[in-house]
Amino acid sequence: MSGAAPEGPVLSVDHLSVVSRDSKKKILNDISLDFPPRSLTAVVGPSGCGKTTFVRTLNRMTELTHSLRVSGAVRYLGQDIYQSNVNPVLVRRRIGMVFQRPTVFPMSVFENAAFGLRILHESDAEIDRAVTEALVRAGLWDEVKTDLNGSALALSGGQQQRLCIARALAVKPRVLLLDEPTSALDPAATQRIEQTMLRLKEDVVLVLVTHNVSQAARVSDRVAFLHSGRLVEVGSTADMLERPKDPLTEQFITGRFG
Amino acid sequence: MATSTPTGSVLPRDEVLFDRSLRTRWRLGFDRWIGWLLPLLFLVAIVPIVDLVYFVVRAAYPVLSWGNLTNTQPYANQNGNAVGLALIGTFDLMAIATAVAVLLGLFGGIATAEFLSERSAGWVRTSVNMLAGTPSVVVGYFGYFAFVLYFGWGLSLIAGALTLSFFMVPYIFRTVDLAYTSIPRPIREAALGSGARPYQYILKVGTPIAFPQVLTGVFLAMAIGLGETAPIVLTTLPSLLVPSSLNSGVTFLTYLIYDGFNHPSTGPGSNELAKAFEAAFLVMMIVIALNVVVRVFAARYKKRLEGLYQ
Ligand SMILES: Nc1ncnc2c1ncn2[C@@H]1O[C@H](COP(=O)(O)OP(=O)(O)OP(=O)(O)O)[C@@H](O)[C@H]1O
Ligand SMILES: [Mg+2]
Repeated sequence: MSGAAPEGPVLSVDHLSVVSRDSKKKILNDISLDFPPRSLTAVVGPSGCGKTTFVRTLNRMTELTHSLRVSGAVRYLGQDIYQSNVNPVLVRRRIGMVFQRPTVFPMSVFENAAFGLRILHESDAEIDRAVTEALVRAGLWDEVKTDLNGSALALSGGQQQRLCIARALAVKPRVLLLDEPTSALDPAATQRIEQTMLRLKEDVVLVLVTHNVSQAARVSDRVAFLHSGRLVEVGSTADMLERPKDPLTEQFITGRFG
Repeated sequence: MATSTPTGSVLPRDEVLFDRSLRTRWRLGFDRWIGWLLPLLFLVAIVPIVDLVYFVVRAAYPVLSWGNLTNTQPYANQNGNAVGLALIGTFDLMAIATAVAVLLGLFGGIATAEFLSERSAGWVRTSVNMLAGTPSVVVGYFGYFAFVLYFGWGLSLIAGALTLSFFMVPYIFRTVDLAYTSIPRPIREAALGSGARPYQYILKVGTPIAFPQVLTGVFLAMAIGLGETAPIVLTTLPSLLVPSSLNSGVTFLTYLIYDGFNHPSTGPGSNELAKAFEAAFLVMMIVIALNVVVRVFAARYKKRLEGLYQ
């Protein structure tokens, strides 16, 4: 969104592995994958295959869990985010995240959306403008515009989730990670979020974790299939769903496990 | 294998729901009896408390008067039962002790919950629990040696207040620690994931969520502190004057209770025992008031946080 469109991938994962310090288990095993501009990549795979862990490595959320050790590189516009002189706070401002269940804060709708801007000490005028824009982009504006000062906790689950998307968008990240953002929502709310994602992918690189193959089919243009911590296969959504190369992928998308 | 049931139908054995075995009958009977027994046990527990309150109120009633509560000259009133001096003394002690304890408990609790590694946090928690379990007289002696002698402050308001804060810190620390660690992880991660620095998360997100619990801890710690007697007796000097500085002597409510029972009838024209009951009544009232405030606050804030991370 901000600045000129970059050449090459926005985010590039290079031989990434994650090991649990406690059990010595390899949660992610040697994953390499690029995320080009204007893409929505769905990360699919059976439960426990490492999808959540994978997206959390993409903005250094993994280090909030002390028991995980990350090796390999994740490059954002060519900069390895795991280098020691990189500030994780800045990483997370460029690479936002939305969680499985809505994580609104106990404050007003407006203050929730303004959260990331307030901590950047933006001017009030700028915050007003950016919050409105973010709420519009998240597809929530029409529902909340008359009561921006109402408590965010009073919103429905689907509205809360779109508010979380707005909060992430307000700081204008270039990448947005979504970890099963609709798994706690009903079909109507899910559809609203899917529409939001389709609009957003024009200017934000989206990485969507989902256990739902049909959701991947509806919104993504690329699918990455993880299994037991390995990247089994990645390709365009059409190819992956209609002509998977790997038998494991085929089994998964035809619903034989997962 | 068909069995007939008491309703007359004949059913396969594993479909029958009636059970007249002794064990089942005993269990059902037990469930019924426990339903009677528990209220009874509750009564047994409540009777002494009610009796205690009645006892104190009855003894304090004759000398309770606005004049006695507000007069700070201990032997001035006709019946010599003014407790204004001790009321102010208790207020001074509590104010200083609470301020110190809140400061230490809040910073310690937040640091332990948010910044320390699991291991160091464990050590800190264990030490605080040890402090909470130390007999109060031992803490009193420590306060005496540390504040009165080593720092040379003498038997004084400040020595008593700081000693008193030792009893309040563990409670505040533990509630603060628990309040911040029990904030849903995803809420914390969402704040940090939005690019907040840890202190920004604590100020803007964590504290509004933890606040009701923290406040509860502070009020309950005050109720605890209010009842402490021995350690303050060891570190202060009873005085006939309202404290004028941190080094002044101080008379406080629980001292009157302690003293009233030790020397029931000293002082010109005063009845120290009645005064002790008057003080006991006041302490009791303040503790009850603190608890009521806690409940009201907790209920109101709980409502405000309803729906958080559903
Ligand atoms: N902090 C951790 N320490 C040790 N093991 C972990 C940790 N976090 C995750 N794991 C393990 O890593 C594996 C992958 O977990 P992850 O949550 O990434 O899976 P997932 O694909 O997101 O699953 P789901 O579809 O159920 O959300 C699991 O076997 C899990 O037990
Ligand atoms: Mg997951």
